[in-house]
Amino acid sequence: MIADALLRADDVTVRFGGVVALDGVSISAPASAIVGLVGPNGAGKTTLFGVLSGLVRPRSGRVLLRGVDVTSTSPQRRSRLGLARTFQRIELFAELTVREHLVVAHRAHERRDRRFLADLAGLESRPPPRERELVAGLLDLLGLTALADRPAALLPLGTGRLVEVARALATEPAIVLLDEPTSGLDAGEAERLATALERTRADLDVAFVLVEHNVDFVLGLAEHVTVLDFGKVIAAGAPAAIRADKAVQAAYLGTSTGAGAL
Amino acid sequence: MNALIVAGLVLGSIYAISALGLVLTYTASRVFNFAHGAIAYFVAVFYYWLHTRHGWSVPAAAVVSIGVMSPLLGLFLWAALFRRLAHTPPVVRFVSTVGLWVALPALVKVIFPFTKNEIFEPTGLIEGSPRVFDVFGVNINANQLVVLVGAAVVATGLTVLIRYTPLGLSVRATVDSPRVAGIAGVNTSVVTASSWMLGTVLAGLAGVLLTPILGLADIQFTLLLVASLGAVVIARMTSLPLAFGGALLIGLAQEVSREWLPDSGVLAKGFRPSIPFIVMLVFLLAYQGLKGERFEVDSRAISQDRPEAPAPPPLRGWRGALGPALVAGALLTVPLWLSDFWIGVVSQGMGLAILFLTFTVVTGEGGMVSLCQMTLAGIGGFTAAKLATDSGWPLGLALLVGAAVAVPVGMLVAGLSLRLGGLYLALATLAFSQLVENLVFAREDFDNFGTGVEIGRPQFFGIDFDDAAPFYLLLVVVFCVMALLVLNLRRGTSGLVFASMRSSEPASATIGISVVRSKMIAFGASAFIAGLGGGLYAIAIGRAAPASFNLIIGIVWLAIVVTWGVRSVVGALIAGIIFVVAPQLVSLYLSEGWTDVPTMLFGLGAIALAREPRGVLFDVVNQHRLRRLRRQTRRDERARRAAPVPA
Repeated sequence: MIADALLRADDVTVRFGGVVALDGVSISAPASAIVGLVGPNGAGKTTLFGVLSGLVRPRSGRVLLRGVDVTSTSPQRRSRLGLARTFQRIELFAELTVREHLVVAHRAHERRDRRFLADLAGLESRPPPRERELVAGLLDLLGLTALADRPAALLPLGTGRLVEVARALATEPAIVLLDEPTSGLDAGEAERLATALERTRADLDVAFVLVEHNVDFVLGLAEHVTVLDFGKVIAAGAPAAIRADKAVQAAYLGTSTGAGAL
Repeated sequence: MNALIVAGLVLGSIYAISALGLVLTYTASRVFNFAHGAIAYFVAVFYYWLHTRHGWSVPAAAVVSIGVMSPLLGLFLWAALFRRLAHTPPVVRFVSTVGLWVALPALVKVIFPFTKNEIFEPTGLIEGSPRVFDVFGVNINANQLVVLVGAAVVATGLTVLIRYTPLGLSVRATVDSPRVAGIAGVNTSVVTASSWMLGTVLAGLAGVLLTPILGLADIQFTLLLVASLGAVVIARMTSLPLAFGGALLIGLAQEVSREWLPDSGVLAKGFRPSIPFIVMLVFLLAYQGLKGERFEVDSRAISQDRPEAPAPPPLRGWRGALGPALVAGALLTVPLWLSDFWIGVVSQGMGLAILFLTFTVVTGEGGMVSLCQMTLAGIGGFTAAKLATDSGWPLGLALLVGAAVAVPVGMLVAGLSLRLGGLYLALATLAFSQLVENLVFAREDFDNFGTGVEIGRPQFFGIDFDDAAPFYLLLVVVFCVMALLVLNLRRGTSGLVFASMRSSEPASATIGISVVRSKMIAFGASAFIAGLGGGLYAIAIGRAAPASFNLIIGIVWLAIVVTWGVRSVVGALIAGIIFVVAPQLVSLYLSEGWTDVPTMLFGLGAIALAREPRGVLFDVVNQHRLRRLRRQTRRDERARRAAPVPA
């Protein structure tokens, strides 16, 4: 384990009724790295994201964010510590436009979401230049500028995923958890997303943890990959090592690499 | 003591019959049918009409009303309403059945005018004076025995049906995932339709069984439904055996507690009716994980079904103020063309319009269905009336203090029940409202034999608001100020935050929004408006009385506000004025047969929400925009054709 990890889960176990969804899973992501998390359906990837982002309480184990134990803190507190995420089933704000998604995320991050009295009085201060710049930059980065004033309810699925990524980045995070960001994207959109992630990492020092079914996308982008199967880590290492790992091939990549046997 | 236990079991069985029907329909359709009691009432009246009015024999009348009329009603309601509800947001599902709850009893009074008079000792399934049996040394009459046995039979039958029959299996599969059940060969329409029909048959059976015990008054059936919700909560909405056991327990507690209660005072009168709600609150708070289930709403499916025109960009500067200024101006001219009598009527409507803004905030912005807003209004109204009349405070100050008192109360309710969410939040607020009604508003110094506490007209800035016109204008000004504040809230960052929470709480939390804090703010603000509006409404009608702020009134309020548009301040304005003016017009200009028509229409309006969840106003504006858009497209098309084709 890397000692100075930005985000770290130690020995996390989650049960739903009698089902062990995660069984002593550990994972860590250093600053400004791209870490992949793969595994077959039902392996526990989304549950692990739930634990990392504070939506699922683990039965045991702990989660450290920037060295702070956040195991029992709320999602919004973790957001303030620099964690953001996207969802596998997209969770957009149906009534808001694309731009408003970024604006509300940014204001929540800057804790300007709690101006009840100022709002009541109608003290509509013009959006500060920093907010406008940041929002415009993110819209541009993800190719959403032309759609900025569309309501989210009317967006196609692929665009919706990009809006989720943009909304996550609008909280100026140190690390973003992306839950299957390319599902529903066409080849061009996936390409654009990969470029955007690389650029965000380079420009803003943002780290990413990536859950993906698109194995080529992960192995091409990540420096470090963890493989989950039935709630357990079965392999972890560099993409090349993962590709060669026999247990992984059996559990997950078997058919695609043609190595069916153990 | 034995007598109390038997009486408790009978009462518990009555609750059980109602609770079992509710649990069944919820299990089968995930729609919580608040109209269950109203359906029971409808069938009971139909049975009475056949048997007593038309001389049908008991078996014939029972078979036709329970075996034919009830399932037909269920089929009709399913086809016309519940079928569509599957794809609507929870608020709409909920309010639609509340609408039915409001509309059905009014419809009964229109169709069967004899129900307007009290019906003495209506017959149930036992004809003549019922035989009396001796059970453990306690006398129990045949009607009570039928209820006891009926509840046990229904509980056993339903449990067997759901757990052990193919239909039960299809029902459970359909609830878990309609699509997958459909792929697996289950005809989901048939399954949900039959569940609804079974549900209405149970309601009908309950109605006929309970008629001799409850009498034929819609209010009794409504209160029964509401009290049986305690058992439904114990059952976590889904367990038939728990619902049965819980109902018996609550019935027993209500009767056996007579042993220990004092003979007079508020506890003597208010404690027993409060028991189901105390139980409800305790279980709601004790059960873990009662998060409102996540309804899967496909907003895209809705918007394709109902095309939505893109809203024009908001007008800036003086143009943006033009619309509101016109509305305010029109309101201010009212005293010029109405008589003092009608100014008085419209004033009550304006008072209500202010009060209704509470729904605009808590439901429209906060996305929460609260059933205690009328109670918060009552708290504001009673506080203001007590302070002004009994303690001689200046009226303006009394009003503000009334509104301020409602805020911590509202926030307390919110704080206790926010983690529940959705339907459970509605039930918790309902329980709270019933506790306040029974234990506080029923106190003699508030109730005062039903007449309530008088409250006079204010007098300040040297203006005497005793006259109709000045008081009306005062209300208009207050409404405009409150509406402006609500609009400001919506336009600001708070509005963005509320919209985010309405769509997705997990996503809101992960971008750093404090969901609990924002909901508390919405609840607190709505409580302030309710308290202020309650006080002003009390002034408009001259007194704060329990009957002005009870549950029945509260649900009609909710139905009418949501019908006109719970997201719109103009919706609240129209709803408030229509609520007062429509019945007044009917009573002045139409025959007596029309009395209940407005209430029926208020209920039907809420039902129509299944078609357009955003309310009448939105629908009108949207249709207008769509027409304009279509004309524009045609014009563009013609221009394109007429233009010379570029080489």
